Amino acid sequence: MRNIILEKIVKLFLNVMLIFSVYLLFRGHNNPGGGFIAGIIAATGFIFYAIIFGTGSVKKMIGLSSRKWMGLGLLVVLVTAILPVFFSKEVLTSLWVPGDFPLLGALHIGTPLLFDSGVFLVVSGMILTIVISIMEVLEWN
Amino acid sequence: MIKYLPHLIGFLFIAGLMVPLLYPILKAKLGLFLSLIPLTILIVLFSALAGLTPESLYLLPSSWGLLPEMNFGFRIDGLSLIFGLLISGIGFFIVLYAAWYMSKYERQGHFFTYLMLFMASMTGLVFSDNLLVLFIFWELTSVTSFLLIGFDHHLAKSRQAALQSLLITGLGGLCLLFAVIMIGQVAGTYEISLLIERGIHLGDHPKYRLIFVLLLLAVLTKSAQFPFHFWLPGAMQAPTPVSAYLHSETMVNAGVFLLMRIHPVVGGTMEWKYMLMLTGVITMFLGAFFSMGQRDLKRILAFTTISALGTMVLLIGIDTPQSMKAALVFFIVHGLYKGGLFMVAGIVDKSTGTRDIYLLSKLFKPLPFTSIAAVFALISMAGLPPMLGFIGKELVYDAQIQLPGMSWLLLPLGVGANIMMVAISITIFTEVFSPFGKSDPIKVKYREKDFPWYFLGGPIVLALAGLMLGLMPGMLDTLIANALYAAKNQLLDVNLSLWHGFNDVLLLSLFTVVSGIVVFIFRRSLNVHIGRLIDWFDKYHLPTLFAKGTKIYVDRAYKRTQIIQHGYHRFYLLTFFIVTGLLIVAQVNWDFLSVMPDGGYTPLRINLVLLLVVASLAVIFAVFSRSRLSAILAMGVVGYAVAILYLMYGAIDLAITQFLAETVIMVLFVMVILYLPKFAVLSTRNSRIRDWIISLSIGTLVTFVVLHARFINLYEPISVYFIKNSLTMAHGRNIVNVILVDFRALDTLGEITVLTLAAMGVYSLFRFKVKKNKSKKEL
Repeated sequence: MRNIILEKIVKLFLNVMLIFSVYLLFRGHNNPGGGFIAGIIAATGFIFYAIIFGTGSVKKMIGLSSRKWMGLGLLVVLVTAILPVFFSKEVLTSLWVPGDFPLLGALHIGTPLLFDSGVFLVVSGMILTIVISIMEVLEWN
Repeated sequence: MIKYLPHLIGFLFIAGLMVPLLYPILKAKLGLFLSLIPLTILIVLFSALAGLTPESLYLLPSSWGLLPEMNFGFRIDGLSLIFGLLISGIGFFIVLYAAWYMSKYERQGHFFTYLMLFMASMTGLVFSDNLLVLFIFWELTSVTSFLLIGFDHHLAKSRQAALQSLLITGLGGLCLLFAVIMIGQVAGTYEISLLIERGIHLGDHPKYRLIFVLLLLAVLTKSAQFPFHFWLPGAMQAPTPVSAYLHSETMVNAGVFLLMRIHPVVGGTMEWKYMLMLTGVITMFLGAFFSMGQRDLKRILAFTTISALGTMVLLIGIDTPQSMKAALVFFIVHGLYKGGLFMVAGIVDKSTGTRDIYLLSKLFKPLPFTSIAAVFALISMAGLPPMLGFIGKELVYDAQIQLPGMSWLLLPLGVGANIMMVAISITIFTEVFSPFGKSDPIKVKYREKDFPWYFLGGPIVLALAGLMLGLMPGMLDTLIANALYAAKNQLLDVNLSLWHGFNDVLLLSLFTVVSGIVVFIFRRSLNVHIGRLIDWFDKYHLPTLFAKGTKIYVDRAYKRTQIIQHGYHRFYLLTFFIVTGLLIVAQVNWDFLSVMPDGGYTPLRINLVLLLVVASLAVIFAVFSRSRLSAILAMGVVGYAVAILYLMYGAIDLAITQFLAETVIMVLFVMVILYLPKFAVLSTRNSRIRDWIISLSIGTLVTFVVLHARFINLYEPISVYFIKNSLTMAHGRNIVNVILVDFRALDTLGEITVLTLAAMGVYSLFRFKVKKNKSKKEL
């Protein structure tokens, strides 16, 4: 049975949650937020979408399979971890790009954000992988 | 040019890792493309030969390393050049050879990845100037060798051989690590060049025996010496290019290399001489002896390789300048002929489909050039002029004669081993290649003209190289003098020549050849006896014993593990709780009054009390509920209550995470709950009473611990440091997040890896289920 109102809401919901999760990811360093939280929120959005539209549509939407998503996240984290070695620092040391930016003012941009993005990818990928596998076994759609 | 060597080795590693990307583009041309890298290394090494004097040493120090003691510095001297030239030179031909040999295999890309990684680690091993780095490369060769032996992983035999070789060489690797660390601790440096420069010799050190035994174990396992020799014939399960490269030329010679490299530091003592001579001579003789009774061409070659390795270890053990020189020459000789013979064995196998020497016959006609190359190689193996093998064998005899105390033992066994080598060489020639004789020629699937040039080129070039060096051995003089300088730390004149004049060594050679021919003539009746002996040995068959030993060990370990890891979740929880409880009981201070905060209670907050009441009610409801759904919802209430508790105490990040996790769990549960069986009461009255007691007492104890925890502060809390430095050092105001991504990033890295693994576990479990369901439906 199709439920048009639910479908519309879920579509809207997904967009809001994704934007919100990215927002949380970026503000995480100074305010409540961060990769873990953002990852869960993004995944929740997709889960609701999957419940209404089925797992196939989510898979189609995210393009890459959620497992590769996790792998990508781990890769990002690993690269971030190893990157300092090439600047003769110890593994996992944070690197910062100093300076002022036009329009944005003084900002601290560094590898922690990259690290957090990796965490974001892994967490959301993990939840999606688990949920999608369960839903497929249950033959939800 | 030589200063780019480290870059080239790095490039080999990268090329190996890039194979999965290159393979779809290059397909069958992949091997040809990859062969360019060893060729470049070969050319670079040849360029280093030009300016070589007996004393020259070229160091490429580096400040880069994973540890302060561990610098990836490189050392180019005669010793590493000899090994490096053979590794890259034969490596070049092997990659070309494999390009065609492996073209029918499905997982060609994997093969070349492993092969290139192996080549890189082997080159790194011989050129590294740091013992720790050497150890890393040493282990890498073991691992890649494991992957290559088990390349046909659908065959149980391959898998077992691979595991066997990994376990044995891995044991040696572990010993090497200990030895290296002990040397570093005693000498104060891991740099080989510093060890030699400072003239450090550990012979008189009280720990010397331990270091030496550990090193010896590393060498014996890697170089397939008695009693660890049995992994090498097993390793013949690998594709032929691998046998030709790893298990005759390079990896198995790593032990020999290590002995020469470390000789200035630990060599020359009584222990060194006797242990190495003993194992070397046994291995040399047994290898040659066992090769007589074999039928498979590759197994024959494997046993002769063991014999050759034994010879080299023996020569290093004799430890005179002559013997070291002989070992170096013999290494070159062996590399040239054995690589060629293995490649020939592969060509014969491809062409006829069998490697049994008694089935093969008269291959000269279909494979003329290969046969000529094989004949040259066999002459070299038998130690006859004009090949380099002759010079090598003369030097070996020379070294054995000149050892007064031991020559009564070494000489007969050495001559005996060589007699068998001569006999085997003649046997292989007459059975496989010779155009004469009565037997019918074997049917061939491919003739020589069906093979591409790069498949046939290797053995021919190697045979020609052996011939050329045999005729002009003077080309090696400087190189070997330099290698001797590196290994013995003294300058020696080296003058190699084919003709030594008429002396007792030449007489021995003549005797060897004549006896070899006699053995060959009577080989049929001899083989019967040898077969009987081999049968007798098989009672104590080392591979079987080894397999049995590992099986018993694994079974025992499995049974022991079963006691703890029984697989019942409820008992895991029970064990966990009881152990925790007992620990608390043993540790806790039973003085109740001290737990109570003395004076100054904070005013009771009504919202907090309400929250706790709700949470407690929810717990009680969950315990007594008869419906799964309501129980789970009640647990959700508890979860949210905890989240609110976090919120009240200002842990916003934690609260958000808890809320979200709770929500996701709720959604999952509600999804799954439909499919669970009906709620049933399965526990008995007794078990419920037991659970009551345990849960109540654990609850009480944990409460107690929490109350206590306020008073226990062994160290200054680290949170102070985090709060102080979060903004200044990590530029972040959200301390929780800064801890996650910066201060404690390693923990996070570990956690997300675990998360990924868990997700993959769930995925693969369900995948299995789904497939099962589908196959049922299809039926």
